[in-house]
Amino acid sequence: MSKTWVTPGGVHPPENKHQSMTQPIGSLPIPEKLVIPLSQHIGAAAIPCIEVGQQVLKGQLIAEAAGAVSIPMHAPTSGTISAIEHRPIAHASGMLAPCIEITSDGADQWIEHQGISDYEHIAPAKLLEIVANAGIAGMGGAGFPSAVKLNPGRQRPIDTLIVNATECEPYITADDSAIRERAGEIVEGIKILSAILNHPHNILIGIEDNKPEAIAALAPHVEGTGISVVVFPTKYPSGGEKQLIYILTGREVPAGKLPADLGMVCINIGTTYAIKRAVMDGEPLISRVTTVTGEAVATQRNYDVLIGTPVSHLLAHNQFDQQACSRVIMGGPMMGFTLPSAEVPVVKTTNCILAPSYDEIPDDEPAQPCIRCGMCAEACPVSLLPQQMFWYAQAQDHDRLQAHNLFDCIECGACSYVCPSNIPLVQYYRAAKGEIRKAHEEKVKADHARERFEFHKARIEQAEQEKEAKRAARRDAAQQAKASPGAVNSAAANGSSSAADIIAAAQARAAAKQASPEDQRAKLERTIAAAEQRLQLAEQKLAEAVASDSDKQPILSAAVENTRQKLEQAKSRLTELAE
Amino acid sequence: MLRNLLDKLEPHFHKGGKWEKWYALFEAIDTGLFKPADVTKNSSHVRDGIDLKRVMITVWLATFPTMFFGMWNVGFQANTIMADMGMMAQDGGRGVFIAMLAGYDPTSIWDNLVHGAAYFLPIYMVTFIVGGFWEVLFASIRGHEVNEGFFVTSVLFALCCPPDLPLWMVAVGISFGIVIGKEVFGGTGKNFLNPALTGRAFLYFAYPAYMSGDAVWTAVDGYTGATMLSVAATAGVDALEQSVTWTQAFLGTIQGSIGETSTLAILIGAVVLLVMRIASWRIISGVLVGSALLSMLFNNIESTNPMFALPFYWHWVIGGFAFGAIFMATDPVSAAMTNTGKFWFGMLIGVMVILIRVVNPAFPEGMMLAILFANLFAPLIDHAVVQGNIKRRLARG
Repeated sequence: MSKTWVTPGGVHPPENKHQSMTQPIGSLPIPEKLVIPLSQHIGAAAIPCIEVGQQVLKGQLIAEAAGAVSIPMHAPTSGTISAIEHRPIAHASGMLAPCIEITSDGADQWIEHQGISDYEHIAPAKLLEIVANAGIAGMGGAGFPSAVKLNPGRQRPIDTLIVNATECEPYITADDSAIRERAGEIVEGIKILSAILNHPHNILIGIEDNKPEAIAALAPHVEGTGISVVVFPTKYPSGGEKQLIYILTGREVPAGKLPADLGMVCINIGTTYAIKRAVMDGEPLISRVTTVTGEAVATQRNYDVLIGTPVSHLLAHNQFDQQACSRVIMGGPMMGFTLPSAEVPVVKTTNCILAPSYDEIPDDEPAQPCIRCGMCAEACPVSLLPQQMFWYAQAQDHDRLQAHNLFDCIECGACSYVCPSNIPLVQYYRAAKGEIRKAHEEKVKADHARERFEFHKARIEQAEQEKEAKRAARRDAAQQAKASPGAVNSAAANGSSSAADIIAAAQARAAAKQASPEDQRAKLERTIAAAEQRLQLAEQKLAEAVASDSDKQPILSAAVENTRQKLEQAKSRLTELAE
Repeated sequence: MLRNLLDKLEPHFHKGGKWEKWYALFEAIDTGLFKPADVTKNSSHVRDGIDLKRVMITVWLATFPTMFFGMWNVGFQANTIMADMGMMAQDGGRGVFIAMLAGYDPTSIWDNLVHGAAYFLPIYMVTFIVGGFWEVLFASIRGHEVNEGFFVTSVLFALCCPPDLPLWMVAVGISFGIVIGKEVFGGTGKNFLNPALTGRAFLYFAYPAYMSGDAVWTAVDGYTGATMLSVAATAGVDALEQSVTWTQAFLGTIQGSIGETSTLAILIGAVVLLVMRIASWRIISGVLVGSALLSMLFNNIESTNPMFALPFYWHWVIGGFAFGAIFMATDPVSAAMTNTGKFWFGMLIGVMVILIRVVNPAFPEGMMLAILFANLFAPLIDHAVVQGNIKRRLARG
């Protein structure tokens, strides 16, 4: 039994996990229509590569990754593309986003695919490419593209791989049931991860002690593999990446840094299963285990659900009682959000659909004034001062909020859970984060505009000065000419010769341009190579910024966009040249 | 049926309705009786069982042992003295009230309770009605709801009044406490002083003859004596121990403010508050540690001031110490909010109360002033704690 550390704060909400564990993972009939949002992850939305009316097979690529921090999407079943348009997606605001709709043909016919069994003899870069092409994003909640996470760069060697099987939120049992039934494949997935990361020294599976069956299921598979299963006491939120790392290693990931900076990578256990399927079976990520629970559905259990399945389809197959249901939540009761409609699809990060009755989750009481009881500060797992941040969030005091480390907030909801005044604290922090990001973006834009304006002003001034100088020179010359007529000739001769020089030089340049297309091509190729390198670097930086939730995001994404444009320009010039 | 009536009346209270100004009152009655319809559906979706209403009601209930014991004690003290002085009955409205329900026998629990109630209930009712008036007024103007915190403020204020306080003074005191102590700063949660104590302090300085600690507070006209603290201050510990035993002081069968005499009854409330995790054990232990340390230090100093020799266990049971430490100091709004800060906040109260009691000749009672003083320092303590944390973390790298 290895040593574990105890995080500050935390709460113990009722677990309510047993209801959905009475039956094994089930499967559902294929829904008539599947809706695949192009953005199910952190990073750029995927770009559709099919057309409406096109036939697709199960597992066929339907949208390509847009850049490094993005993932491709695949058809979850065979059928026809019936629409590419904006649809409501799983987002608290009920916003619309571009989606691909597939009308299923019921045949569920796979595209040709092939796995690799001896992954140990494959270069890590090749394995990484498979993971990237399979469209795998973190399945624990945030949906960060796994291939980016698994490629921390040469300057940061990874010595610890942490597999997150904590699943600390109440009600959710997707990981628990997956471990019980698929422990072998999960461990295989972890071995693949180990190969990708060049075999780190420590491989730890972190799991809470409320899942004894899952722990027992893992035991025979990890024996002799060097993977250790670390069990620690149940407490919410132990499953946050930084929390889990502290619990297992006693090391804190500094604010604004990534686990990779400490030589660690933390991957959700559901993701390891997807990676195993991608590498050894050649199957992209098109389904996941999702818990359907809450008293408003008759059967509470886990399902292997196709990505894109409408939530209403899931509920309808479990005798959902609309009248009895207080709200439909995607995710758990702590961090999940109320769905605006049940028509939204299941995405790669959907670990739970919770349909509670009014008894289970009654409507919230209205918020009362804060009495500074300090319970939130005691519950905060990041040791922040939630009530101070609440005052500042109300006052929109962005500087103070940042001084109180608002961006270290993991939005776990422990503060809202304990608040006796029913203040939706997390809501305030989320909104404040959004406002700060927006204000920052606007500031960047304004700075840009100001810089341009100042540059413009300086240039005009300079031009004026030059003109003035020329005028002065001409005046002087005229005076001199008046003074000594003999000098005029020589001055004129001088002038004509210099003009001739300029013309000659221009001609030579033009000739050089036309004369050596090879040179030009070589030059362009060099430019492209350099730009590609820059683009890669910029994307990597952006990925880091996205992962660490940094406020530099907008600048970096602008930089990436800029570089990409330049690269495309150079490429198009090159093709022009070739023609 | 009531629901229908309320629903029918509701439009009148909305913007533009004829009773628009009274929306707060309507809302208070409406949500007090029924669950509100306009609620948010936000994460986190689940919450633990403790909410503000329950917190406030629990504190209110926790004062009940003190309240009932206080009533009994007021009656007991009065009846004993009346028996000694040969008086037969109280006059005026109180006499009528007592005569209706009971007699004047100091050995009868019921008689004592009724006699005490004749003094406490008017005070409490005045507090409640006048305080409630201000609460509703401010809530109406601000357009928010009346808050349960008022229950706590009013009961605490009433309990720390001397029994024979004129009722108009009660009204003035609670008005000052609610308006100046709380509402001018924005209402519940935004005050930096404890409103009940603010009101009491106002009375203390405005009408010292009625409130100050020397003249004794008994519900009998024409009787004067000395409080425990003034006995100790003028005659020393020996004289104090001759007048009452420590056990008496602990049980609370002594004279004093209605709710402050019985340390035992206060401890019952304290257990409730601590088990429910409403009162901060850090603050309470800070008060105890601070007062014990300083009084032990004073005990070792030779002085002509007899208070120097008063041991801490006496300090704990006399005056408003226990009541202040359990009910007043733990008011979260005006206390420090950081965990470390809470302990230091308590320490500051403990140290200040002993300092005022022992060294300051003008005020024999120091608890009220010590708490108000510490209230003022709470933000500074928090600031120091936060800065200290930041420095420590930076040093750790």
